[in-house]
Amino acid sequence: MKRLFCFAVAALLISTAAHARVKLVALPERARVVVSLSHPDQTLVEEERLITLQKGVNKVDFSWRGVSIDSSSIQVRALSHPNDVKVLNTSYPPNENALVWEIASPAAQEERVRISYLLSGITREVTYRAVAEPNEQSMTLRNYLRLHNNSGEDLTEAEVALGYGSSFKKTIAHEEVLEMLSERIEALPVKKVLMWDSATLPWDPEYQKNTIGIPLNYVLTNDKPHKLGTHTLLPGKVRIFIKTKDQPAKEGEQVGEGVAFTGEDWAQLTPVDREMKLYIGQSRDVKVTQRRTKDERTNIRRNTANQDVLWDKDEIYKIEIENFKKEAISLTLIEHVPGYWKMVENSHAPQFKKKDAFTFEYNLTLPAESTGDKKTTVTFELNRLNVQGNEPQGY
Amino acid sequence: MKSFLRTVSGKVGEWESGERPSLTHRLTHSLTYFAALATALLATTTHARINVVTLPDRDSVQLTIYNSADLTLVKETRHLTFRKGLNKLEFSWANTLIDPTSVEFRALSHADEVEVADVSFPPRVTNTLEWRINSEFAGDVVVEIRYFTSGLSWSADYVAEASKDEKLIDFSGAVRVNNNSGEDYENAQVRLVVGVIRLVEDIANLARAGKPGMPTTVAAMSAPAPAAAPARRLNEAFFAMDSAEKSASAKPREIIREGVSEYFMYTVEGRDTIPNGWSKRMPSFRAEKVPITSYYKFEKERFGDQVIRYYQFTNSVANKLGNEPLPDGFVKAFRFVTDDLLYAFVGSTGVKYIPVNEFVELELGNDQEVSVKPTMMDWQKIDISFNALGDVIGWTEKQTWQFEVQNSKDIPVVLDIRRNFSGDWTLTTNAKYDKVDANKVKFVVPLKPREKQAFTYEVVTKHGTNKTR
Amino acid sequence: MNMAMKVSGKVGESVSGTRRSLTHRLTHSLTYFAALAVMLLTTTTHARINVVTLPDRDTVQLTIYNSVDLTLVKETRHLTFRKGMNKLEFSWANTLIDPTSVEFKARTHADAVEVLDVSFPPRVANTLEWRINSEFAGDVVVEIQYFTSGISWSADYVAEAARDEKLMNFAGAVRVNNNSGEDYENAQVRLVVGVIRLVEEIAQLARRDEAKDKAMTDVLKSKSELGKKMYTRSRGARAGGAVGGLGMEFDGIGARQIVKEGLSEYFLYTVEGRDTIANRWSKRLPSFRAEKVPVTSYYKFEKERWGDNVMRYYRFTNSTPSQLGNEPLPDGAVKAFRIVSDDQLYSFVGSTSVKYIPVNEFVEMELGSDREVMVKPTLMDWQKTDLQFDQQGDVKGWTVKDTWQFEVQNSKDIPVVLDIRRNFAGDWSLTTAAKYEKVDATKVKFVMPLAAREKLTFTYEVITRHGTSATK
Repeated sequence: MKRLFCFAVAALLISTAAHARVKLVALPERARVVVSLSHPDQTLVEEERLITLQKGVNKVDFSWRGVSIDSSSIQVRALSHPNDVKVLNTSYPPNENALVWEIASPAAQEERVRISYLLSGITREVTYRAVAEPNEQSMTLRNYLRLHNNSGEDLTEAEVALGYGSSFKKTIAHEEVLEMLSERIEALPVKKVLMWDSATLPWDPEYQKNTIGIPLNYVLTNDKPHKLGTHTLLPGKVRIFIKTKDQPAKEGEQVGEGVAFTGEDWAQLTPVDREMKLYIGQSRDVKVTQRRTKDERTNIRRNTANQDVLWDKDEIYKIEIENFKKEAISLTLIEHVPGYWKMVENSHAPQFKKKDAFTFEYNLTLPAESTGDKKTTVTFELNRLNVQGNEPQGY
Repeated sequence: MKSFLRTVSGKVGEWESGERPSLTHRLTHSLTYFAALATALLATTTHARINVVTLPDRDSVQLTIYNSADLTLVKETRHLTFRKGLNKLEFSWANTLIDPTSVEFRALSHADEVEVADVSFPPRVTNTLEWRINSEFAGDVVVEIRYFTSGLSWSADYVAEASKDEKLIDFSGAVRVNNNSGEDYENAQVRLVVGVIRLVEDIANLARAGKPGMPTTVAAMSAPAPAAAPARRLNEAFFAMDSAEKSASAKPREIIREGVSEYFMYTVEGRDTIPNGWSKRMPSFRAEKVPITSYYKFEKERFGDQVIRYYQFTNSVANKLGNEPLPDGFVKAFRFVTDDLLYAFVGSTGVKYIPVNEFVELELGNDQEVSVKPTMMDWQKIDISFNALGDVIGWTEKQTWQFEVQNSKDIPVVLDIRRNFSGDWTLTTNAKYDKVDANKVKFVVPLKPREKQAFTYEVVTKHGTNKTR
Repeated sequence: MNMAMKVSGKVGESVSGTRRSLTHRLTHSLTYFAALAVMLLTTTTHARINVVTLPDRDTVQLTIYNSVDLTLVKETRHLTFRKGMNKLEFSWANTLIDPTSVEFKARTHADAVEVLDVSFPPRVANTLEWRINSEFAGDVVVEIQYFTSGISWSADYVAEAARDEKLMNFAGAVRVNNNSGEDYENAQVRLVVGVIRLVEEIAQLARRDEAKDKAMTDVLKSKSELGKKMYTRSRGARAGGAVGGLGMEFDGIGARQIVKEGLSEYFLYTVEGRDTIANRWSKRLPSFRAEKVPVTSYYKFEKERWGDNVMRYYRFTNSTPSQLGNEPLPDGAVKAFRIVSDDQLYSFVGSTSVKYIPVNEFVEMELGSDREVMVKPTLMDWQKTDLQFDQQGDVKGWTVKDTWQFEVQNSKDIPVVLDIRRNFAGDWSLTTAAKYEKVDATKVKFVMPLAAREKLTFTYEVITRHGTSATK
């Protein structure tokens, strides 16, 4: 797959017949190449070339091979004399990746032209690597851009524009992958939180063959106080490491600093002021046991066939949480209730937060080593009203 | 089974003029074979002259092996000589399972003066990358290279030796490291991570791609075969090293424990050599006289008619444990049956991960020496109500159950019987019970050696229009 | 790919030899100009042939439709007639000409030149012969017109938005594709926008060896008259003329009397100057460029249409105050760019197609989803109340109250307008402090301008009565 741009300028008269076109001329060197990656799916290339125009109508031949250009997207703009140099028309020969511009020039002159087109095969990826401090309250975040060039075209000293930040100049050959650091933020505050969701995790660990892992999340906030907030964070893979002590190889040597990997997740698109939640691993040092201790129908209304058609429900839930760790930790309990309900009694009102019609959370801080008698117990009582058995659970 | 590191310094543009010969380091970290180094002509974009100057061997290797995923973090340090300006460092690997998206470089010395400009995965080759590094320092720099590999794993296993009365156990743990990575690791520091980390993509698949973003079906490499010949050759070295260590210090090597985020990490003291295809088992702890309870569970819905035996204890300091969480693994339980410590095999089971101070249950299978026999002694349908058409619309069911329980063993045990009910139910009994949740109760009965007991309960369930909840 | 024209005497017509007819043979192949011969044929089977002239096409005019595969070709030629019977043979091969559509007309000495009949000779394809009686001897300008298929045209546009997306430059072009089998040289190109109903496709007719099918004649006759009318009217139109562009004019022609259904209006664009479009080539010609057209960066959210995506639009009006409005804009593809630097570098915004846009019509160009504008709806509360029961005791009526919260955020550094649509069914009523408009009985819209980087939240409550509780 060898790319070839043939670029010919001719002041010759092309026979209107299907005779072979004569492509004379010098290959004008590219004066500049700009690759714009601001569109999520399309890559726009703008290249500038210097061509020598005769007075009158010039034919400029542009052709390509081994690259995938959207031919309907090709445009040419005169830069040196934008008001005088005019593109009269564009002709497309049959079965060729080529076109011919007729360009009128009022004088013999050199013209810088910019040719724009959509080129397939250039993709980019955003990846993040972070190294957390041992206390997991802050981390160093590095944001990398990885460019893949499968366009068929070697891009030399191309200005790459991402749509945010400043553009940079890179040379990237066909089939090359280039990775570069695009942003580094030191001491970025991070919130570590475990998330126990009653819809996805078993309620009674005793009945499980394996210790239940509770999803461990790092939460970043894309705002100024958290050293971010300059732009939307783009989706990509995030790998998180944590600093560790490295044991010395020999006795007497100093303990060094190393890292261990703590997990990875796909970052979601995160606009400014919103949170990025990264589910990177599981904690097995916190144990959550949820039980429904009361589950009763009240106000049962039956039809004449004595079927229950409408009732209320009185439900009590008890959640016992043990933290075996030597450190306190944040835990979010996520509960789901379908239909119309009211909270009757709630052991942790300040930690309670309704997220939507059918979901609420408790945002708890579990004290260190809160096990046995010191465990955290959350209870709540719900009245579910006007139940018919067809309650919506989501929207 | 080779990976190479090569430094190329000097700017591309300068090579053409030939004014500045550039410096190349080429490294291999294959344990089996140190390639003879040659002056290679490296064509990047132009023709470059490259001088091979030195062979920077790996100074140290550290393996951080995870047990929840097929993942190992490898860290190696090397000494390289940098020039001022642009240095190119080529790193290549073949027949290994290195994830190309994971390879990272960092300078440990002169870190402020050495900066990676970018990383290139060159066209038409796989398992190779090139760092372009700007250095403001000329001379020796200690660098660290980190990457993920697949094929190394570790697991924990335990032995429980119960005393004759099954009141105490000796509990010991070991870890076993398996190397199927395609690479021999020599003199490596081994760290083992206990924990469930999340991987959104399989490391082995990423490794097979050979470069980032390639379809994984492209067989950039074949899975490394357990290279028989080199492993054999290293055989002797492996044992030699071990015996050398043993002669140096007779005591088993220490394992250093460290909490890391929600995980736990063991660092094995000293250095290990683990050739490809080998595995190595190391003792990790031994606790004597850990108090246990012989606990038996019966729950029809879970185990049918069987009674299941458990050893229960707590992973706490009070119980001679509690220094570390216990990784999930396999346990073999024995009981000493004679004074000269002959074993009886009690059972083998998988054990869950146990945090410090958590209560442990080793499930050891069915034990016929403890029996539970439930019998429904009476069944009544009462309080029948009718609608205007004379059809039955409500009724109440009353069941009377008798439970005969027997401990045929010569040691005391605790028996836990669970019963599940549904609907509008009411339980009446003289026996002691706990409500587990809205629809489950448990009867916990301590039984002396050879004790038999019987208890009854009555459960009334209201149906149809009799139902009030 | 030869099309030959020949004037000849008819075989076996006369043995007397007193009337001689003149034969012109023309080709309008672009690749090859055959040597032409004027053949003098005796009415006997022995014909004397004189090569007289090479009647080249003097002018060619193409009237191309974009809604159907139809092009009206009109060519004028100079022919030399004799007094009396002239036979003019017209033949074509490897082209897509509809044989039933070919018409002849004298442009000069029209009163003296009369077509007696047209013959499609036996055993030859792609040939016809006019028998023309002329009372004039000498040079006559004749016009031949016919329909061909295989030539099409399409419009496309480039929108260049300013950095603030408040103004844009809007340029249109037309692209003519010639797959007719024929090269057209120095042709006047006219483009028709509109929907034409064809009883039979021209391409099909062209494929017939001979089309003597009388049934078709009437239909095609009306078509060719349509062509004539168009010609006549558009001649009066003023030639426009941006430099280097094509002067575009249009002329509404009520053609109802000719074509029945499907066509109420169409517009004709005449390309200034002459163009050469070889067979299988296509040619793109700039048609207009409007600078500083006011545009609105408009965003829409409607769950039922686009899920969670927020769609971006550029909105403008095809009107004189908006620097446009001189003509309707034919349907076509649009590529939109935003100028992101002082040296006019582009950023690609999106591509789309626009429908036909009449003058003064409001235009919306859908440019795909944009992640920089976020809409996050959350159902915050749900209540089912007011239950009613029938005689059997079953629930027959109830009321549901939904409380929704919408978080919206503009992450862009320019102001935008956001349009959120919500659809409700049944007997619903909406309560909100937010400003909204009812679109129809079951749809409302919340339209809010958002400043650069603005975030806001609004809520609404919708009560829906079901079953017997519903009153509408």
